[in-house]
Amino acid sequence: MKPLSNLAAPLLLAAAALSTGGCTTVVIDEYRRSTGELAVGDSVVILGRRHSSEYETEPDLIDCVGDTLHNPESGVNVIPEQQFVDALYPWFEPRKAPMHIKSLSKLMDIPDVRDRMEQYGVKYIVWIDGSTETTSSAGSIGCSISTAGAGCFGFGTWDKESDYEASVWDFRDQELSGKISADAQGTSYMPAIVVPIPLIARVQNNACKGMAAQLREFLLPPQSASRY
Amino acid sequence: MNIWLTGLRTMSRLFAILTMVLLTACAHTVSVDGQFPTPVGNQHPLIVGVFLSDDFRQFTYSENRDDRDEWNINTGRAQKNLFETVLGSMFRETISLSQYPSDLPQGLDLVIVPEVRELQFTMPRETRVNIFEVWIKYDMHAYNQRGDSVAEWVITAYGKTPTAFLKSQEAALAQAINVALRDAGATLYTGFAQVPELQAFIANKQRALSMQEATSDE
Repeated sequence: MKPLSNLAAPLLLAAAALSTGGCTTVVIDEYRRSTGELAVGDSVVILGRRHSSEYETEPDLIDCVGDTLHNPESGVNVIPEQQFVDALYPWFEPRKAPMHIKSLSKLMDIPDVRDRMEQYGVKYIVWIDGSTETTSSAGSIGCSISTAGAGCFGFGTWDKESDYEASVWDFRDQELSGKISADAQGTSYMPAIVVPIPLIARVQNNACKGMAAQLREFLLPPQSASRY
Repeated sequence: MNIWLTGLRTMSRLFAILTMVLLTACAHTVSVDGQFPTPVGNQHPLIVGVFLSDDFRQFTYSENRDDRDEWNINTGRAQKNLFETVLGSMFRETISLSQYPSDLPQGLDLVIVPEVRELQFTMPRETRVNIFEVWIKYDMHAYNQRGDSVAEWVITAYGKTPTAFLKSQEAALAQAINVALRDAGATLYTGFAQVPELQAFIANKQRALSMQEATSDE
């Protein structure tokens, strides 16, 4: 039983560290041109911009915003990104997707595309552009194994930065409803005393939650948004 | 003496096995087997035959350079699926041809024959950008019923995928190739009527059809 109790302490420490995590700051900005008009039966599509060769808006961020925002009981029905892009192939592929609202209205001249959009009950298309990057890192951790046992010693730290902008297009009125930007920064730490203990700053996840909460307020009519 | 000979034989076998293991350890095999959605949009008023050669259906890109590991990338099945799906939805009628140019069915407006010209890829450690990238170039040929060339054009496709965390290099590259193939399908679908010769060909066909309709109405 002794080896188990020896393991329990580091495991508990690691679990506590993971639950605490590193610190993250998130700044959300909003530019609004019209109030939310999402009604019963309407849908929202959240899509990632992937036309740049230097970065790509992470599919897991799009899923995260969609999953957080999706709540049919509160009147927000989100169509999963892949399902929508497949259903409207090839018009929303990275290099073919409309970059401006004017190109979207041109796309609606194709009857089959317009019908498919109407079938889905699309009211808003939200384009998210940006990425999360590791901006700096420092420290080092060394691990060794010997006949006496194994262990790691050292300290590592790294900074992450998220920079996203969501453009909200009103599909029915064919206009830009507004923009939401999310900037998040966080530092993660990894002290290692025998066992590495990660203190991870969930930068991307916090940017996602912040953006989803702001989008909910943005898309729903003022009375409905204040209720949820 | 026999013991020495047996020992020598065993040693040489072990050496051969070790060499094989070391050689195959640096060889990567990727087999891409994607399914692609059917495009949504208008159909061109043409009856088209599509010939996908055996080389195209079984296309494997092999690379064995000094500065890279050995790679064998099979995109044949996936690109066959892609071209069948996309070309199958682009025209009023699409007929899959098992041979070309002999035994063509009557009434075809065009025969389309695609060929792979080039495939290139980069890994994150080569570009220092944290993504896998793939480029594919196709030579497209369109012939009339008599076998005369109507149009020749090129489709370039690009696909990338972020460094797939906890994924193998092979799986990440296959994902990037699938993205590139989707891009090829999108370019084929949206760019077909923008090729000048094909634009004129479709306009002529439309004119002929509307004249035919007008005479049948009379």
